[in-house]
Order: sequence, then structure tokens, then C-alpha cells
Amino acid sequence: MRVPLERKVLNENDRIAATLRERFRRNGTFCLNLISSPGSGKTSLLERTLGGYDAARRVAVLTGDIQTDNDARRLARFGFPVRQITTGGACHLDAAMVERHLAGWADDDLQILFLENVGNLVCPTSYDLGEEARAVVLSVTEGEDKPLKYPATFHHADLMVLNKIDLLPYVPFSMELVRKNARRVQPEIEILEVSCTTGAGLAQWNDWIQRHL
Amino acid sequence: MSIAASVLDALRAESALHGGARITRAGLRIGELSGVAVDSLRFCLEMLVADTDLAALAFEIECAPWTRRCRACNTVFRVSDARPECAACGSGDTEQAGGDQMELSFLELEEP
Repeated sequence: MRVPLERKVLNENDRIAATLRERFRRNGTFCLNLISSPGSGKTSLLERTLGGYDAARRVAVLTGDIQTDNDARRLARFGFPVRQITTGGACHLDAAMVERHLAGWADDDLQILFLENVGNLVCPTSYDLGEEARAVVLSVTEGEDKPLKYPATFHHADLMVLNKIDLLPYVPFSMELVRKNARRVQPEIEILEVSCTTGAGLAQWNDWIQRHL
Repeated sequence: MSIAASVLDALRAESALHGGARITRAGLRIGELSGVAVDSLRFCLEMLVADTDLAALAFEIECAPWTRRCRACNTVFRVSDARPECAACGSGDTEQAGGDQMELSFLELEEP
């Protein structure tokens, strides 16, 4: 007997993500899912971001890694709530992990929740975490063709943050080409250029976040 | 691998909906933009079902192309080489149409 179906493979994940999205909407929380390859600067960008906030800001971070709580320790220095999600092998965060790690947090007046995904340009793409927006961080040492090599990741992103622009004099990287490649896979993508080392572009990044609050 | 595990969870849930009937064949539709490599998925599925009650299960995986719809001429076209321009009229005003599916498309159940 053949039964036709249209069941989403990740419908359990999508169901949890939908409840998270509703919770963030109700609480007025802007939730941002940060995706990049390892070493592109997600944690550095968050350090710069948290470092610029005053203590009254209601912001929290869930940071995912396969092993270690190094990132959570780096980010906890700023005094905002930070929790490490150690996936123990999984190469991405899923909605259930986010839900589990929010447990016990008074998140009803949270303005911003950053979800720092596991460093990986492939697997996190498929998993909705209930976020309002998705940002891909790409550093200029990685090559301009990444949007074409990982179209799914860039296609699902609202924002591309080009990081490490202070290194542009030393690496053959064309800003024009990477912008063109990203817009080919996602014509509506917004693009920011930053350096977490010099601080260049961080004002625009903060403005971008502020626009979503 | 976790996507393959989700596939098997979904299959078991569907089997339960059909009175626990044994599934002999399952169809999957995987979009080009889903971020899933069909060969890897197949490999993981076969590894996960080996030596289980689903060991005899055959998978039929269909790859759904990445498509966009042209807002000017309404053509739905297959995106090649990541170019967003309409393949029919060349307009750059196009929107996402398909290619991010990751779904079960059919099951074949053993007759009770």
C-alpha cells in the first residue's frame, strides 16, 4: 500500500521553533541566529557587542560548541547571562537545545537573545531555532566564493557580516565580488563590513541590531 | 546524521499512525537549497537502519531543484549557477519559489 505524504523531516524541530518564536515575539525579544565557519569571529563580534552595552541592557547569549565552554567563559566576562550549549558531537544547534537551555532564565523582559551557532557553514542552515533573523559571519580570509559554495546558508540569511576587514591589505579578497556572490544567492541580503580588532563598522552593526528592537 | 535520525523518527511516527504497519519503502524529497547532501543522507540512513527493525527499508530520494519565480513574467525557472535572473525574460525581479524542502513524500506499507 502506497501512502502519499507531505511530512517535513524536521517537523518536530519546526514545531519547537514555532513555540520559541511565539515566546520571543510575546516577550519582545529580538533573537538573532549567528552562523559561520569556525574562526570567522562570531565570538569576537559578540564580545565587542556585549562590551559596548551598558549594564541596564537586557541581553543574553546561548553559545553552541561541540566541546568546551571556552566561548561562554569569554562572553560571561561582560556580566550578561551567558550559557554554553555543548552539543557533544552535533555540528549544529537545534530548537530543542535552545528551549532546554532557556529553562530557568527569566527571559520575559529580554531585549536581545544571541544564538551563537556551532562553527559550521552547512548543518546549522536546516535548523530553525525560532530566531527572528539570521546572520552569516564571513571573514575576509575565507574567500569570496563562499556564498556560491554554500548557497543554502547564505540564501537563508538576512544579513552577511564581513569580518576582519583590517586584514584586507594582506589578503587577496574582493569586497565587490563577495557582495555580488552573496546577492546572487540572496538578492535581499543586507551586508555589513566590520573589524572586531579595530572596531571599524561596529557602529553600523549596532544600528542594525537597534533597528530590530 | 541527525537529519537521518529525524527521518527515521518521522517514519516510525507514520508507521504508528497506520497501526504499526511495516514500512518497506520510503520516499524523500530533498531540495537543492536544504543544505543536505543526498549521498551523505543516504549513507547515514543505511547506517542507522542496519540491524534494526527497519533494515529492509528501501529509500527513494528525489532531489528537488532550486527554483525562483519571475515577478515580471510569472515563469518559475530552475536556478542555475546561483543566478537569480529570470531564465525566460531576463528580469532581475524574482522571488524564491522552491528548493528548500526536506520532506517525506510517500511510504509503502506492508499489507496487513
